[in-house]
Amino acid sequence: MSGRNGAPAELVIRHVHVLDPGNRLDGVADVRLREGRVAEVGEGLRGACELDVDGLHLFPGFVDVHAHWRTPGREDEESIESGSAAAAAGGFTGIVMMPNTDPVVDRPVIVESLVRRVEKESRVRAYVSAALHAGLKGERLTEMRLLGEAGAFCVSDDGLGTASAGVLRNGMLYARSAGLPVILHCEDHALATGVVHDGAYAALAGIPGSPASAEDAATATALVLAAETGAKVHITHVSTALSAALVGFFKRRADVSADTTPHHLTLTDGLVATLDGLFRVNPPLRPETDRDGVTDALRDGVLDFVATDHAPHAPEEKELPFEEAAPGFLGHETAFAALYTELVLRGAVSLPRLVEAMSCSPGRWVGEGEGIVVGGPADLALIDLSEEWTVGRETLVSRSSNSPYLGRGLTSRVVGTIVGGELVYDRLGAKFGVQA
Amino acid sequence: MTRNFLTLEGARREDLRAILDLARIHAAGNGDRPLAGKTICLAFFEASTRTAVSFELAARRCGADVISLSEKGSAIAKGESLIDTVVTLDCLGVDALVLRHPAAGAATLAARHTGAAVVNAGDGCGQHPTQALLDLYALGEAVGGFDELAGRRVAIVGDILHSRVARSVIPAFLAAGVEVALVAPRTLLPQDAGIWDLPVLSSVDDALLWGAGVLYTLRLQRERMTGARVPSVSEYARFYGVAGRHLRDGVLVMHPGPVNRGVEISGDVVLDGHSLIPDQVAAGIHVRSAVLALAAGTAHEVAA
Repeated sequence: MSGRNGAPAELVIRHVHVLDPGNRLDGVADVRLREGRVAEVGEGLRGACELDVDGLHLFPGFVDVHAHWRTPGREDEESIESGSAAAAAGGFTGIVMMPNTDPVVDRPVIVESLVRRVEKESRVRAYVSAALHAGLKGERLTEMRLLGEAGAFCVSDDGLGTASAGVLRNGMLYARSAGLPVILHCEDHALATGVVHDGAYAALAGIPGSPASAEDAATATALVLAAETGAKVHITHVSTALSAALVGFFKRRADVSADTTPHHLTLTDGLVATLDGLFRVNPPLRPETDRDGVTDALRDGVLDFVATDHAPHAPEEKELPFEEAAPGFLGHETAFAALYTELVLRGAVSLPRLVEAMSCSPGRWVGEGEGIVVGGPADLALIDLSEEWTVGRETLVSRSSNSPYLGRGLTSRVVGTIVGGELVYDRLGAKFGVQA
Repeated sequence: MTRNFLTLEGARREDLRAILDLARIHAAGNGDRPLAGKTICLAFFEASTRTAVSFELAARRCGADVISLSEKGSAIAKGESLIDTVVTLDCLGVDALVLRHPAAGAATLAARHTGAAVVNAGDGCGQHPTQALLDLYALGEAVGGFDELAGRRVAIVGDILHSRVARSVIPAFLAAGVEVALVAPRTLLPQDAGIWDLPVLSSVDDALLWGAGVLYTLRLQRERMTGARVPSVSEYARFYGVAGRHLRDGVLVMHPGPVNRGVEISGDVVLDGHSLIPDQVAAGIHVRSAVLALAAGTAHEVAA
């Protein structure tokens, strides 16, 4: 990893509100970081290099298991460098890169190359997801054991899903043998014939709709197969209340976890009325009933965590009518602020649960889940919960600007992100007029 | 000052009346040449006969210079984006852009990127506002004026799901005080058709029992006939086709065209005395003259 600032041998963060539900930490303390790890949490700690951040919160770094960094193939939209900078700007210290690139990450040599490039170019910990099937075509399984040896952390069919339940079943069985978790994009293409949610706004706008059943039926299939095969399955971007309930039903019957996205938790298909292709995303934005159902499921832990589905797109792929626009939103940089503003401040989800859903729970999923514990890696996010800001193209670090929150005012902002003790995102200077 | 005509969603009665009043002035031959010295671009990126022709006639009768673009002959065929095309036309000094496009929302997108007035001439399954205006005009003339529309019952019959005409006609009729029912199998209705809060009926006969005085039939596109949405043409025609026997007691039939004779409407009634289809076509020129005059001309402003 390459940070802009070298890691000081030791840093004491003073007077910070430490919140780590995984380690039952919730109060103002001083935190000593040494050699990339948390060395001490207590009161009255002093050191040669101090950072007094009275009023800020310190969380375990966020982890995003769903990121499209467009590498290889579309580095004009995002690269490992820019994607990891965007992740760091959002307080993320770990991410999983999705395999639907050009070429698809379906051969060991591509995984090896990505792992090497991540070492050199990424500011945050980045894990490579390889494809579940060759070319993501849903026909031939990938060489999962060789992909694992090359450094793949998991396999996924993200982007399109797997059309054949037979291939999906074999993929799960083989992934289990290969010891790799499977991240699944659940979408039935016989049902998903539209580009927005098939609801009132599709009816009014005349934009082709995909029914919720396109997601629900595929989710049900995936869950049944997960229970039968015993594979470790993660269902990503759950966007309907029914799919969330299905996940809940299978929690004790399968080794299954699930996430939903900031946009499905905060936005609705009312945005279809803008006729603005920017708001095309897959799965589509849903009505309030689904948004609320998914929110409840996240609050209750039925949905384990949040993942952003960070999907950069060039302007020419977005400034189009809905039907022609590319689906996807930027996610990293606005995830916490959007959820804090829309869920925590409105009382729908508590702050500790949000931190658990962005840090602890996805952290455990990627094996980083120690949190703020003495001896553990210093992967941390410093947040100002009171800062108000407006999302604009100029605030975005990503190489693209297709954020659904452009122009929106949000409350809370990441001030610093620390990976392995290294300050990889730093607004402290701008904030306090001092440099750590 | 220019005005866009993008959608009839949210249309108000007085706006509709003002447009139709102006259309009546044009119909009487008293429309002057409100577009003299103006340039109107007809950009039709999808096939059209009556809409394209009537817009062109309307523009010429109003004194405009008219240029026509189609996908085949334009830079769109070379991969130029809609926005780039629109900006180019803007730079060339076009006063109004009449746009037909296969994707819903295209006219709205175009309007965001040009200073010229944009008139939506049909965008995907989205809107077709001038069609609904000319329908109101033709029906109003047939029943004795715009104010006579209120309280009448119109059944919209057919493929509402894929119909931009329906999405414009429904709010236009409702704004004029017309009571509207939808007649279609569930496969040809939006999943959430309840958004319109209208009765949904299951045959033309039921529409007549409901008291429909007008049967507004929609075109059933060929690909719907072969897909899983409709089992057969004969079953469709039996329940959703308008035949001569339906047109008793002054019941009128309308159709935006082009007609599939023998499918949504039997051939013998297309041009008979109960059919307003020829009146609809004729109304097109007057209504489009009024719309273009309001969009780009020197005609008196109406509130919108």
